[in-house]
Amino acid sequence: MVLEIKKISKNFGGIQALTDVSFSVEEGEILGLIGPNGAGKTTMFNMITAMYPPSSGVISFVGNPLSNLKPHQITEKGICRTFQNIRLFSDLTVRENVMVGNHCRLKTNVMQSVLRTKAQKAEEARVLATSDEILEVVGLANDKETIAKNLSYGAQRRLEIARALASRPKLILLDEPAAGMNEKETNDLFNLIKKIQTLNITVLLIEHDMPLVMRVCSRIIVLNFGKKIAEGTPSSIQNNKEVIEAYLGVEEEDELA
Amino acid sequence: MLGELINPYYLQVSSFILINIILAVSIYITLGTGQLSLGHAGFMSIGAYTTAILTLNYNMPLVLGVIIAAIVTGIVGTLIGIPALRLQGVYLAIATLGFGEVVRVLFINWDGLTNGAIGLSGIPHLGREIFNLSKSMGIEPDMFGLKNNQFISLAVFFVLLIITISVIWFFVRQNNSRIGRAFSAIKMDEEASEAMGINITYYKVLAFGQGAMLAGFAGALYAHLMAYISPSDFDYHRAVEILIFSIFGGSEVIWGSIFGAVFLSAMPEFLRFINEYRFMIYGALLVLMMAFRPQGIIDVNMMNRFKRLMPKKRGEKKHGTGNKEDQ
Amino acid sequence: MLIEQLINGLTLGSIYVIVALGYTLVFGVLNVVNMGHGEIFMFGAFMGVVVTNILGWPLYIAFVVAIVVTGILGYFLETFALRPLRGKEGVSHLAPLISTIGVSIFLENVAHHFFGSGNQPFRTSLSELKFVLGSTTVYYVQIIIFVIAILLMFGLTFWLSKTKAGKALRASAENLAVASLLGVNTKRTITQTVIIASAMGGIAGILVGIAFNSVNPQMGLSFGLKGLAIIILGGLGNVRGAMVGGLILGMAETFIVAYGDSGYRDAVAFIAIIVILIVRPQGIFGTATTGRKG
Repeated sequence: MVLEIKKISKNFGGIQALTDVSFSVEEGEILGLIGPNGAGKTTMFNMITAMYPPSSGVISFVGNPLSNLKPHQITEKGICRTFQNIRLFSDLTVRENVMVGNHCRLKTNVMQSVLRTKAQKAEEARVLATSDEILEVVGLANDKETIAKNLSYGAQRRLEIARALASRPKLILLDEPAAGMNEKETNDLFNLIKKIQTLNITVLLIEHDMPLVMRVCSRIIVLNFGKKIAEGTPSSIQNNKEVIEAYLGVEEEDELA
Repeated sequence: MLGELINPYYLQVSSFILINIILAVSIYITLGTGQLSLGHAGFMSIGAYTTAILTLNYNMPLVLGVIIAAIVTGIVGTLIGIPALRLQGVYLAIATLGFGEVVRVLFINWDGLTNGAIGLSGIPHLGREIFNLSKSMGIEPDMFGLKNNQFISLAVFFVLLIITISVIWFFVRQNNSRIGRAFSAIKMDEEASEAMGINITYYKVLAFGQGAMLAGFAGALYAHLMAYISPSDFDYHRAVEILIFSIFGGSEVIWGSIFGAVFLSAMPEFLRFINEYRFMIYGALLVLMMAFRPQGIIDVNMMNRFKRLMPKKRGEKKHGTGNKEDQ
Repeated sequence: MLIEQLINGLTLGSIYVIVALGYTLVFGVLNVVNMGHGEIFMFGAFMGVVVTNILGWPLYIAFVVAIVVTGILGYFLETFALRPLRGKEGVSHLAPLISTIGVSIFLENVAHHFFGSGNQPFRTSLSELKFVLGSTTVYYVQIIIFVIAILLMFGLTFWLSKTKAGKALRASAENLAVASLLGVNTKRTITQTVIIASAMGGIAGILVGIAFNSVNPQMGLSFGLKGLAIIILGGLGNVRGAMVGGLILGMAETFIVAYGDSGYRDAVAFIAIIVILIVRPQGIFGTATTGRKG
C-alpha cells in the first residue's frame, strides 16, 4: 500500500467538504478519483500534499502517517502533484521549470553554488540531464528554452506533469490533466500516464474526461458531496446505479472538457 | 599625463554610484523572492552606525568595522525576516517600513552612543586609510604623477569597484544555481514552489537576511565614504530611493537593478536642474512604471534578446502562443 | 493633569481615527493599502493654511476647499495609480502598493516645492479659546475635533449601512466581481470610495493643523504611518477596528509623552505594529483567513 486515507473529514468554516472518506492506493496502480464538481476531489489532494490539514482522520504514506509535515517535506517523501488550474512558473523556461521540480533532490548550498565547487558542477550537470530526460518522456524535448507561459495549453499541462516527475516521486497526483485538451492531446496524455506507470510511479488521477478515466485506470473511487459512494473497477463503476445518478444531474458539465 | 585626466569630483560621484549599485542589488535579492521591504534604509543605517561606533569609540580597524557591521545587520535582518515570513505582501511592506522608522527614532534618541539627530562625524575616511596604508608600504601618489586628492579618490573608486564587482559576481553565480531557481520560483508562485519541494521558509529568510546584510554593508561603506552620518540620511526617502533603483531598472534581472542604480544616480549629474525635482520624478516614475512596465526597463526578454546577439549562442526555437486560460 | 491628558489623548486619537478610516475604506473595497493617503491628508492641512492664513478667509471655507482639493487628488490617485493596474493580467499584488508609494513621494515633494520644508503656522481665532473646569483646561478646538470625529464616524457608519451607495460599497468590499454581476457600478463605487476616503483625509489634515498649529510637508508621512499602524492594529478593512485602534494609539502616545520619554512617541505605533503582526497578523479585530478550497 503506497497511500492510505483513513476516515478523512474536512470542514471549511461550517461547510463540510469531505466526510469520513477512506481508501488506499496500491503500489504501481493507476487509481482514478472522480465525482461531480465540488465533490471534494481537489480538497483531498490539498490535504495529501499538506496544503492544509484534515479536520480529522489520518493519511499515511508507505506506512508512515503524514501529519505535521509541510508541503515541501511531503514532496521530499515522494509525493508530488499537478494543479487543476495550471500553476507553472510562467516566466521561467520549460527546462527551468523542470529543474525547479528537481530542487528537493539536490544538496548544494549557497557557498558551493557561488564557488562552483566540483560537487556543485556535477550536480548541475545531473539536473540538466535529468530534466532533458523527463522532457523527452513528456514530449517537450523541442521546447526546452521556451518560456513556460508561451506554451500551448496542452503542453503546459504536460509540463506540469514533467515538473512533478522531476521531484522523483513514488506517487504522483494528477489534478484534471486532460482539462482543455483536444482529442489528440488526450490520447497523448493517455500514453504518458501509461508510461509513468512503467517508471514505477503510482498514479492518483482526478479527471472529468470519463472515456480517459475508464481506459487508463485500473480502479476508481467515486466521491459525491464529500462522501465516497463507490469504489471498484471501471466496468463496475460504469454500471453502478448510485454513480450514474450522481452524474446524471450534472451531465452538461462534462461537455466542457 | 594621467594627472590631468583624473577629476576627483567625478570619481567621488562614481564611488557613490557604486554604493547605490550595492543597495540596488540588496533590494533586488529581497524582491527576488516576492518580499517588498521598505526597511532597507533602516538596515543601511544599522551598518553605518555599527562601523562608525566601532571605529570611532573602539579604534577598530576600518576593515574589521565594515565586516562586523555587515554581520550584525545580517543577523538583525534574519531576526526580522523570520517573523516577517508570516506576513504577506502588504503587511510585510508596512512592518518593514515601521522597522525602519523605529531604527531611526532609536538612533535619534540614543544620544550617548549616536549623538542623536546631529549625527556622528569624524568617521575614519576610506580614502585616508588607503592613503596611509599605501604610504606605509612606500607607495606615493607622485609615483603615478598624481596629486594626493587625485590618488585618494582613484584608490577609493578602485577599491569600491572591486567590492561591487565581487558582490555582483556572488549574486550572479547564486542566481544561476539551485538557490536562484528556488528564489525565482517562490517569487512567481509561493504555493506551487512549496508543493514542488522548496522549503520556502528557508529561502525567504535567506533572501531577506542577505538583502539586509548587503544593505548594512553598503551603509558601512557609505559611512566611511562620507565620514559623517546622521539619522536623516536613512529616512523613508532613502528606502524609497533604494526601491526605485530596482523597480525602475528592472527587478527581474540583477542587471536591471544595477542599471537603475547607475542611471538614476548619474542622471542628476548630467541634468543639474533635475536634482531639485528628483523625488517628484521618482514618484511619477513609480506610478508610470507600475502602469506601463511593472517589470522595469530591463526585463528577462530583453536580457534573452541581448544574449542571443552574443556570439556562439545556439538559436532558440519558439513556438506556441500565450493562450493560457484562467479557471 | 490626568484628565487633561485623557482629553489630549482623545483628541489625538480622534484625528488618528479619521486618518485610519481613509485607509480602511480603500482597503475594504480594493484590497489596496493606499500609501498616498498620508500625503493627501497633508494637502488638506496646507489648504487650511492657504485659505485661513494667506487668503484670510474663514475656517469653514478652509474645510470646503480642503474637501474639494483632497477629493480631486483622490480622484487623480485612483485614475493614474490604481485604475491602470486593475484587472490587468500578471500584475503583482505589490504593484498598487508601489504605485501609491510613488504618489506619496510625488505629493510630498510637490508640497515641499510650493510651501517650503519648514513648519507653517495655522492660526485661527479658535486656537486660543479655552475654558477651565476645576483644575483642567479644555480648548474649544479639542471639543470641535472630537465632535467632528464622532460625526464622521457615525456618518460613515450610517452611510455604509443605510444608504444605497454605502450598500454598494459594502457589496463591492465583499466581492468585486459578484457586486458587478449584481448590477453595482463597481467602477463608480471605487472612485467614490477613494474620493470619500481622501476627503476624510483632508478634514483630518485641517484638524491636525488647528490642533498642533503647525503644518509641514513631512506630516503626511508621520501621520500616514500612524494610520497604517492603526489599520494593522484594528485589522485591515475593519471600520470598528480602526476606531478603537486610533483611540488606543492616541492615548498611548499622549501618555508616553506625559509620563515617559517623548522622543519615543513616534516609535509607539511601530513597535505596536511589529508586536501585533508577530502575535496576531490579522489584527486585533480581524478574522483569520481560512485555507483556500481548490
